[in-house]
Amino acid sequence: MAKKKNDYVDLKTQPIPEGHHLLEVDNLKMFFHTEDGVVKAVNGVSYTLDRGETLGVVGESGSGKSVTHMTIMGLIDMPPGKIEEGDVRYRGRSLLEMSEQEMQHIRGNDIAMIFQDPMTSLNPVYKIGRQVGEGLRLHRGYSKKEALERATELLRLVGIPSPEKRVNEYPHQFSGGMRQRVMIAMALACDPDILIADEPTTALDVTIQAQIIELMKEMQEKNGNAIIMITHDLGVVADMADKIMVMYAGRPVEFGTADEIFYESRHPYTWGLIRSIPEQAIDEKKPLTPIHGNPPSLVNLPSGCPFAPRCPYAVDICHQKEPEHIVTETGHYSACHFADDPEFLKFAPDTSRSRGKIATGMPDTLDPDLTGGEA
Amino acid sequence: MTDTTKEPLLKVEHLSKEFPAESGMIAGRFSKRVVSAVKDISFEIYPGETFGLVGESGCGKSTTGRSIMRLTNPTAGHVYFEGKDVAQMNSKELKAMRREMQFVFQDPQASLNPRMTIGEIVSEPMVIHGIGTKEERIERVRELLDVVGLNPEHINRYPHEFSGGQRQRIGIARAFALRPKLIICDEPVSALDVSIQAQVLNLLKDLQDHFGTAYLFIAHDLSVVQHISDRVAVMYLGKIVEISDWKTLYTEPHHPYTQSLLSAVPVPDPDVQKTRKRIILPGDPPSPIDPPSGCRFHTRCPIAQAVCSEEQPELREVAPGHFCACHCAAVNPIKETSIEL
Repeated sequence: MAKKKNDYVDLKTQPIPEGHHLLEVDNLKMFFHTEDGVVKAVNGVSYTLDRGETLGVVGESGSGKSVTHMTIMGLIDMPPGKIEEGDVRYRGRSLLEMSEQEMQHIRGNDIAMIFQDPMTSLNPVYKIGRQVGEGLRLHRGYSKKEALERATELLRLVGIPSPEKRVNEYPHQFSGGMRQRVMIAMALACDPDILIADEPTTALDVTIQAQIIELMKEMQEKNGNAIIMITHDLGVVADMADKIMVMYAGRPVEFGTADEIFYESRHPYTWGLIRSIPEQAIDEKKPLTPIHGNPPSLVNLPSGCPFAPRCPYAVDICHQKEPEHIVTETGHYSACHFADDPEFLKFAPDTSRSRGKIATGMPDTLDPDLTGGEA
Repeated sequence: MTDTTKEPLLKVEHLSKEFPAESGMIAGRFSKRVVSAVKDISFEIYPGETFGLVGESGCGKSTTGRSIMRLTNPTAGHVYFEGKDVAQMNSKELKAMRREMQFVFQDPQASLNPRMTIGEIVSEPMVIHGIGTKEERIERVRELLDVVGLNPEHINRYPHEFSGGQRQRIGIARAFALRPKLIICDEPVSALDVSIQAQVLNLLKDLQDHFGTAYLFIAHDLSVVQHISDRVAVMYLGKIVEISDWKTLYTEPHHPYTQSLLSAVPVPDPDVQKTRKRIILPGDPPSPIDPPSGCRFHTRCPIAQAVCSEEQPELREVAPGHFCACHCAAVNPIKETSIEL
């Protein structure tokens, strides 16, 4: 007996208009106007996303990856924030032109978000079942009982043991990994088209992180939703993302398929990120190659390429002229003056593909004499 | 590098630390229960080496570090620093010991006093131990700031004027002010971005080459620990489950927990990530208030046998210098490429 508000049509049930993608972000610019000056937090972000796809958004803290997606969700206070330019279209409809009421239907129903810290994003005084079912009551008009039933089902789906009991517990009775599972259950409650996950595993231990990533992939296979995975860890998106956008100082500096970003990267910032990660060396330890210096302040961006002051290859033009996106045939783009210079691209880090060597982190061959001892 | 022919600088023997379980509304009934944070662990650190201690949150790695420096008093066991038992020291001896043993904390924001200039912060250990005149100390601070890659001209600035990575450099400069023999680094890079993390790791390595300091490097990130350490100990729920040199731990992990940790570390390389074997452990680590009987890992272990829930496995030498506490690892290694959730 779901009472649906009849004055509203679920956008996610509408077909995507011809020539449009599920989500299109088009040269989005959002600046904060503060007393200290204009903070160019989102400065020309563009990408497209289709159903079933996963986009990885990678960058250091302060690179604008979270703010971009808060802007898309309409979660930024305006003022101090202001959309300067660009558009965000979901199934052909502009999200920026929607009323707050319409946005409320979108949030949680069509586009859902998982936040980094599962403790602060759950309400400590409400039972888990009520919080998971809240979206269903709001968007689908479920009754209390129906919502609780569905919440129990969702908790079971995300691998929480004895969900009938757990729906009546409070957030503090859950561990960090379990809370993040609850967040995923909550986000998936209304079967959203797009799931935005903002550093969903950063606060978790590595073994729990592996569980949560597996769970998100599994849910995506089942529901066919798109995922936007925001992270500072390139390792997390390596086997998950179809496309990756690398952000620096509020703008995307490189965009391409996962293979293009990891194996044919054309931007020195991406190279720096890859080189900074300790390699699981098998023979000898090499010193790490960090990116020198610190990310720039978004109030006083350096002239020219924002990465130039930290770039080991920067020459005069980098400090004078802001680079355009240089796009390849496959749509892989890089904001570097030398992105199409084959000589320059020789500086790129070597990877397993160029080395032809695969490190698995596990012994490949186990002594055959020892494998027979199974009880 | 590890030189095991020398006397160990630090020797930890059967160290245990228990905290009283929290008292709350249902206090009375549970008042006799304890949180067994660290249970009977032993290891040595040799001069000039880096000993890594890795494990998930709540496994007792930080408590171990704090017990060694006696920031918290161990419940049982001994910690010998240069042959002297830290647990038996009086306050005067402790002060002398702490001149040789310093600490770098995880949160560079919380561990620097916001009302002190960085000059005051870095010189404070020297003031406490009465080293040099004021002018000499300032000279030394300038030297230290230069060594850790900060501008000595900034000696009169306050911590808030620095970024996270720079603050961690200040913390490191302070730890090195007394030229200690051992520095306990408790998650020194986990609050930093990966690009800045690499800067700090390189700095720690350079300083070690220069001063010959030994590190106890505590972290949850296995790839970071492996990168910096000569030898690594893996902890699970208060127990050391495996100790070996970094290379062996990587190429021949023995304990199923070490194997699953290694396989869970994300590799920034799609080809590798898609093809490698992964062991995904089910569930969460159990509570240290009521740890599982027998092997503490048996509740999540993919190869657990009946014996595992009954008998506690001893840390046995499986190869020279490689110790592992597991009943089954040798006879029944993990064969499956992935274990379902």
